[in-house]
Amino acid sequence: MNKLSRSADWIDQAEPRKPRKVSRLDRLRDAVRNPGFVAAVPISLLFIAGFLAPLTVVVLFAFMPPETFSLLQVPTLDNFRSIFAGTYYLSFVSSLELATCTVVILLVVCYPLAVAMVRIFGNKGSILAIVLAAPLFVADNLRLMGWMLFLVKGGVVSGTLQTYFGIELDSMLYTFSATLFGLVYIYLPFMLFPMVLGVSMVPPKLREAAFDLGATNAQVLREIDIPLAMPGIIIGALICFILVAGAITEAKVLGGTAVVMIAQDIQKEFTFAQNWPKGSALSVLLIAMGGALSWALFKRVDLDTIFGRK
Amino acid sequence: MKRKNLLQSFNQSRREFLRTTAMLSAGVAASGLLSSAAYAAREKEMNIYCWEGYNSDKVLDPFRREFDCEVKAQGLISDPEAVNQLRAGDTKVWDIINLNNAWGRKQLYPEGLIKPLDKAKFEPLWDMMIPEFKWPYKWAMSDDGENLLGMIQRYGPSGVLVNTDKVSAATLEDEGYDLFLADDFKGRYAVLMYDDWVVMHVAIAAGFSPFRAVTDEELAKYEVLMRKLINNAAFLSDDMNAIALGMINGSIDGSFPGSVYTVSAARLDGNPNLRCVVPNKGPEELGGRAGVRWMELTSLVNNPQLSPRGEDFLQYCYRPETCKNVSFAEGTYNPVGQMGDPRVMALFSAEELDAFQYDTLEADMNKCTDFDIIPDYTRLHDIFSAAVREKA
Amino acid sequence: MIVETAAATESAARTGDPILRLKAVDKFFGDFAAVDRVSLDIHEGEFFTIVGPSGSGKTTMVRMLVGMDKPTNGDILLRGERINDVPANRRPTCMVFQSLALFPHRTVGQNIEFPLKIRGVAPAERKARALELMAQLRLPDSYYGKGVLQCSGGERQRVALARALAFDPDILFFDEPLSALDYKLRKLLEKELKDIHRETGKTFVYITHSLEEAMVMSDRIGVMNKGRFVQIGTPNQIYANPVNRFVSEFMGEVNVVDVERGAAGSLVDRLTGAAYQSPAGDSEFREAALVVRPEDIRFLDHPDDAADNKLTGTIYNDYLLGSRVQYQVRVGSSQIFLVEKLREQQLDVARGATVTIAWDTRQSMLFATPSFTQSMVAR
Repeated sequence: MNKLSRSADWIDQAEPRKPRKVSRLDRLRDAVRNPGFVAAVPISLLFIAGFLAPLTVVVLFAFMPPETFSLLQVPTLDNFRSIFAGTYYLSFVSSLELATCTVVILLVVCYPLAVAMVRIFGNKGSILAIVLAAPLFVADNLRLMGWMLFLVKGGVVSGTLQTYFGIELDSMLYTFSATLFGLVYIYLPFMLFPMVLGVSMVPPKLREAAFDLGATNAQVLREIDIPLAMPGIIIGALICFILVAGAITEAKVLGGTAVVMIAQDIQKEFTFAQNWPKGSALSVLLIAMGGALSWALFKRVDLDTIFGRK
Repeated sequence: MKRKNLLQSFNQSRREFLRTTAMLSAGVAASGLLSSAAYAAREKEMNIYCWEGYNSDKVLDPFRREFDCEVKAQGLISDPEAVNQLRAGDTKVWDIINLNNAWGRKQLYPEGLIKPLDKAKFEPLWDMMIPEFKWPYKWAMSDDGENLLGMIQRYGPSGVLVNTDKVSAATLEDEGYDLFLADDFKGRYAVLMYDDWVVMHVAIAAGFSPFRAVTDEELAKYEVLMRKLINNAAFLSDDMNAIALGMINGSIDGSFPGSVYTVSAARLDGNPNLRCVVPNKGPEELGGRAGVRWMELTSLVNNPQLSPRGEDFLQYCYRPETCKNVSFAEGTYNPVGQMGDPRVMALFSAEELDAFQYDTLEADMNKCTDFDIIPDYTRLHDIFSAAVREKA
Repeated sequence: MIVETAAATESAARTGDPILRLKAVDKFFGDFAAVDRVSLDIHEGEFFTIVGPSGSGKTTMVRMLVGMDKPTNGDILLRGERINDVPANRRPTCMVFQSLALFPHRTVGQNIEFPLKIRGVAPAERKARALELMAQLRLPDSYYGKGVLQCSGGERQRVALARALAFDPDILFFDEPLSALDYKLRKLLEKELKDIHRETGKTFVYITHSLEEAMVMSDRIGVMNKGRFVQIGTPNQIYANPVNRFVSEFMGEVNVVDVERGAAGSLVDRLTGAAYQSPAGDSEFREAALVVRPEDIRFLDHPDDAADNKLTGTIYNDYLLGSRVQYQVRVGSSQIFLVEKLREQQLDVARGATVTIAWDTRQSMLFATPSFTQSMVAR
């Protein structure tokens, strides 16, 4: 008891402490010395130089007079006017249509695959992941070339059918479907891996609990699996949608330009047409569309939950 | 007992990941500094930007060995694109640029993007040329005739491609582009998407020269033809091999436009029925010529740190064996101007000459007008790209 | 010594058909029997607790009972119907998980309504039922629209229970739902759970590794070890008459003294050589464990006072456990006895003081150690 009262006296006699004043400079110094900040410097510089700077140039060019090559001119809306007066909306529509179809097909194809990788294969899922990711190490136009030789009239498929079964097939290339096929094939990993992440975020116990509470498999899928995997699904869908909306090679190589995608119009403006400002204006519209879509989705999905910080 | 998944294993090694990322980015930054430091000494490196052929190992490997030089080469499919890249500052990257004739004299040189050659060194080489390209050849010289802007090597006529088993060359020569634009040819041809060439040939098909300002009536006629050409096509491709393949497997009978090089590899490979044909009759203002002939001009880029190997390369290209290798580069065979030299000519076999239709080469070239800059290109190209977008 | 509560007597005396009956159920994982030929009856309205250390097979058992695993052999009968092959979602039973398994993407209300939604109950009716259950579980109405992740541990517990009750199961299973909570909250919820059991009159089957927890809530307890029930009985039966050393040790801190058979029915401490009286008469054994609860050992005021068993030792250490005090008494060089007293009965001596401890023979228990050959025969 004595001890206790002594220590109480000591506390009373002590001078009241004030929080030390931290100047703004101190705070800045602490921030700069923070290892996180130091580690982030190179990647931030890379980001600024490699992403923000070109983006700024593109945005500025979009407001320069048509068919000019300098940024030091009076800004104008001519490019946008001529885009809206023309038929560029067709390319936007076909790009969006293809992007939508690709995303829908990928959702249907990848979900079962992701579920298999996470739940059925378990640790062996990583082998499957490597197999599925391996094509990423080969340039996509090479892979598309391979498919072209596979599908072209007299190619692997129709040649085999004709030689062994006497079935004559016309070329399977140069159609909307061929383009769609190419897109689905190329962008599969971009949907699959976020989806695997999403599916692995669903705790098996929650599925069991729902099942135990009387839910059928379909109800478990609807009420538990899909809502909880949604962050991964949305990220995958968004990545694919934006990549496909900006895709070009598939439509050219397998699609024979049966469908003109907006990226092709942009490329033409920058190259054959020598009209950088118009190409920039088209790019700005495409970027704005992608940005708006991302913004709308991320308003609904919390990034923190996606990365498990909550 | 917790199962590891991708996310978890990432979380566990997040520190590791951060460290690696930081190190990698530091490495990237450092290598950037290094490469700019290495700029000063470029004796042992050279970068070339060229139409396909010059970038083949067949052409480059002997040069690499002999000059102990690292050569990087990138192929192009569009002159304007390459010109734009030089304008955008890529003159710092490239040492050699290889484009169709008119660009050097009309744009690259006036804009200071290429460097004139040392006449004393290069004029003697022109002795090897066929008569059409005798010194001083217009497209190799500056407007004032003072400066030598580059060296001419590959050339060829551009018309249309056809499978002569389906349509005889003679019929096509007589009927001209109308044959492709007739309704019964719908779905039987592809369009080779080298945009400026499509524009030129459709303009000629519409009866006017694309190499001058265009009137509104001409433009209207051009648009009708262009839309028909695009809508009736089986497919559109900028891959000449895909087009050659389509002609071999019979899914198409022809290509608009097309030059000798588009089918030369297929011809050597046992398909002599594929041919580039130039129609007999063209607009009067072009002297009745219906085709467009191109010659590639290879020039030195106005690079602030130009590799001294650039000049060597231009000279190397004029060696007889290199001429042959350029002519018979991978995937595309073309006649070369140096075939005026018997040492070069001796290197070609009869089959090889036939691959690029040597039998009718001179005649076809005479049915062609020189490739030139298209003053109203923007208007013409806008119509073309709208037609592609709105393809039915 | 044995005092049965009214409820326990009632359930033990019940003679009607059991709601759940296990007939020689086992579950093999490879060669390993996680559950080994278990037979058990659980009665309507009973609070039955399965208690055992980790790895004893209790979780495997409950997974079979709710339908998430199938038994390898044997039958599980629900009201006389064999339900071995009926999947969990078609059984009229449900479970409160150890992790609670609340749906994080749903509100409190949506979680509770989940089983009703699954059945297609109209939204208004669902909400009414959810609010009713929330009231019963002392969750304020304002929690209806709250996200479950915003709830505290105890609140989540109640949501999980409400969700299970909304299912209206014939039997409600619990898989250690309180194990992650702090002591105070756990004690509170144990009592609440017992109240809920009383109010709903449902059959509760509760899994835990804490016999203490089981004692508080259960009508009957089944102690599991190595895939089998070693003892089934009311809390009082198990407390008073543990059938073996495992059960007695499992109940909490007890003094276990390894003894061998001495002359004339006496026991000899194998460590110190001291002699004790045997509570089991002259039974057949060579080696045994003598178990004495710390609260059954007393300090003698005078070393000469009469006692059945008497030892002299020194106070080695003392621990204040709130209302009780525990002493470690060292006897000889190596034997330690735990002695527990109420705080009011605290000794007024310092550490190192010499004390005499004693216990009545009838308050000690003796469990023969199965010898190697005997255990072979038992198998």
